[in-house]
Amino acid sequence: MLYFIADLLALGAINAIMAVGLNLQYGQAGILNFTYYTFVAIGAYIGAVTTMGHPPVPASEETFILQWNLPWPVALVLAGAVAGVLGLFMVLVVIRRLRSDYLAIVTVSLGFIVWDLITNYVPLFNGANGLFNVPYILNGATASEITYTLEVFGVAMVVLAVCVWVVRSIFRSPYGRVLRAIREDEVVAASFGKATTSSRVWAFVLGCVMAGLAGALLVFYVNAWNPQGFLAEESFILMAAIVIGGPGNYWGAVLGTFVFVELLSEIERYLPNFGNGALVGAGRAVLIGIVLIVVIRFRPDGLIPERWLRWYRVPAGGGQGGAAGSQSRGEPRRRLGWPWLGQRSEI
Amino acid sequence: MNLLAEAVGFGLVDAAVIALAAVGLSLQVSVTNFINFAYGDFMSFGAYVTYAANAAGLNFFPSVAVGAAGTGLLGVISNWVVFRPLMRRKSRTLILLICTVGLSFIVQNAIVMIWGPNAEHYSVTVGNALHLGPFLFTPGDLILIGVAFTLLLALHLFMQNTKFGTALRATSNNDDLAQACGIDTGRVVMWTWAISGMLCAVAGVGLALETNSLRPTTGFNELFVVFGAIILGGIGRVYGAMLGALVIGILTEVSAMFISPVYSGALAFTVVIVVLLLRPQGLLPSRGRSA
Repeated sequence: MLYFIADLLALGAINAIMAVGLNLQYGQAGILNFTYYTFVAIGAYIGAVTTMGHPPVPASEETFILQWNLPWPVALVLAGAVAGVLGLFMVLVVIRRLRSDYLAIVTVSLGFIVWDLITNYVPLFNGANGLFNVPYILNGATASEITYTLEVFGVAMVVLAVCVWVVRSIFRSPYGRVLRAIREDEVVAASFGKATTSSRVWAFVLGCVMAGLAGALLVFYVNAWNPQGFLAEESFILMAAIVIGGPGNYWGAVLGTFVFVELLSEIERYLPNFGNGALVGAGRAVLIGIVLIVVIRFRPDGLIPERWLRWYRVPAGGGQGGAAGSQSRGEPRRRLGWPWLGQRSEI
Repeated sequence: MNLLAEAVGFGLVDAAVIALAAVGLSLQVSVTNFINFAYGDFMSFGAYVTYAANAAGLNFFPSVAVGAAGTGLLGVISNWVVFRPLMRRKSRTLILLICTVGLSFIVQNAIVMIWGPNAEHYSVTVGNALHLGPFLFTPGDLILIGVAFTLLLALHLFMQNTKFGTALRATSNNDDLAQACGIDTGRVVMWTWAISGMLCAVAGVGLALETNSLRPTTGFNELFVVFGAIILGGIGRVYGAMLGALVIGILTEVSAMFISPVYSGALAFTVVIVVLLLRPQGLLPSRGRSA
């Protein structure tokens, strides 16, 4: 039980990093990235191949590039950097010319291409078999399972804190307001002289860096990674969790990810298998789909709307100017309770 | 040379399946203006309903009709329950797109819950290969190509020659204007979902027949190839989708001769992305309205 909670905490912190990063891309910059998990995977692979050295078990015949033996903090940073560079490359190719929904298709397609290459080109990351025996970080090789889990949790919390701090700074800065303005209406933002393309590019790249960090931590924690770990479905579920939790608001994103990505899959693991063997997993996905559609239908801002972060800082009738101030002007302050009946606005 | 001809022949069979699905999806996109990520799962659903009807003792072709009707109904219901309320609210495309992802989860995993995760087979097979000139076809392939051709021709005649077809084209062109002209656009949208559902069910059956296995992910894995076809043809353009299907189908089969076939999917996607970047309006010259 204790281990279960520790495991939940460690994975929760790692998932929260992904949530914060994806939320920066979707919730703040309005880029629908349906292949976020590809960047997590890149981070995981880079984290693995830069710490593994030569194949730890020679007989295992693992083949992969680099085979470096770096200390893990360096590998972590490197994983974030590579994911960021890949994200930069990808976003530069597509962002200028495409409407948001075609952009979503292109992200899925690019993710599939990367998946296909990694799965079938064995020398890169050992193909479909994936990497295993990734070394533990810290004193994980000797520590007990639960100690190691808590250590990973600690490291992940530090990384998470840095990511949240970055996103918070962005959220409150003029750059954050530019991003949200672009998300609402790119043409208007551009006509105010805002550099719409470069703003979105950097938000996207930062989100990818966070994915890479989360992926490296994940591979340090679970010690193995293969292409089954980043199917398109993973990205979709992550995106669904963000939308349910409340995009634009990192608390909502973190909560949504915790409940829908993690808690459900952990509970699923402890449920007995019945029916045709896949009933529980399928039921979880059906549940996510139904909740997603119901939330979009009846609570389009997600369970924790973006405005929750704003109303306590923006007094009614006044404000700090910009979109936040003008929106809340004159609005009754009844949303101090559970604001089920709050004003609806699109995500 | 012979190998090339055979590859082109296989490509034609692929193209028949892709064309059915792509035309259905293109029709729906042209009317509703959002891309449907659940469409691949609709294909699986149609194939599974056909399988169930067939297993219940119905002959194969009536089973396909049952599958098509069931998928058409699924399309109408999902429009009614999920999309119509959102479209009334003038939701942004992004929101509708995310909803289709949710729908895809539901349909795909409902299939797993009902029929199980393992591969199923139809009681009929495509038969043994015959040499026809330079090509190599099975009787099943020929029937499939014939069915695809007939259905697409029927759709063409329906779109061009009936009042409802005209209404459909008008709605896809400009739904506000169509409504102002007295067209019941709600009804047009409903029938569009039904028609696109029926087409994709037939495509799903064809896909399962050709690959000789039916899994809950069969349709979803094919979805992006179908996207490729409609992007090549220009999104929302029905005739372009047919051309795009032909290009994608033949390209993936012929490319398998030169590079390892495991990469043919990646190649198709690369072509799609390049086309989307260089000619976002599709391969055909645009006629004023580009999607």
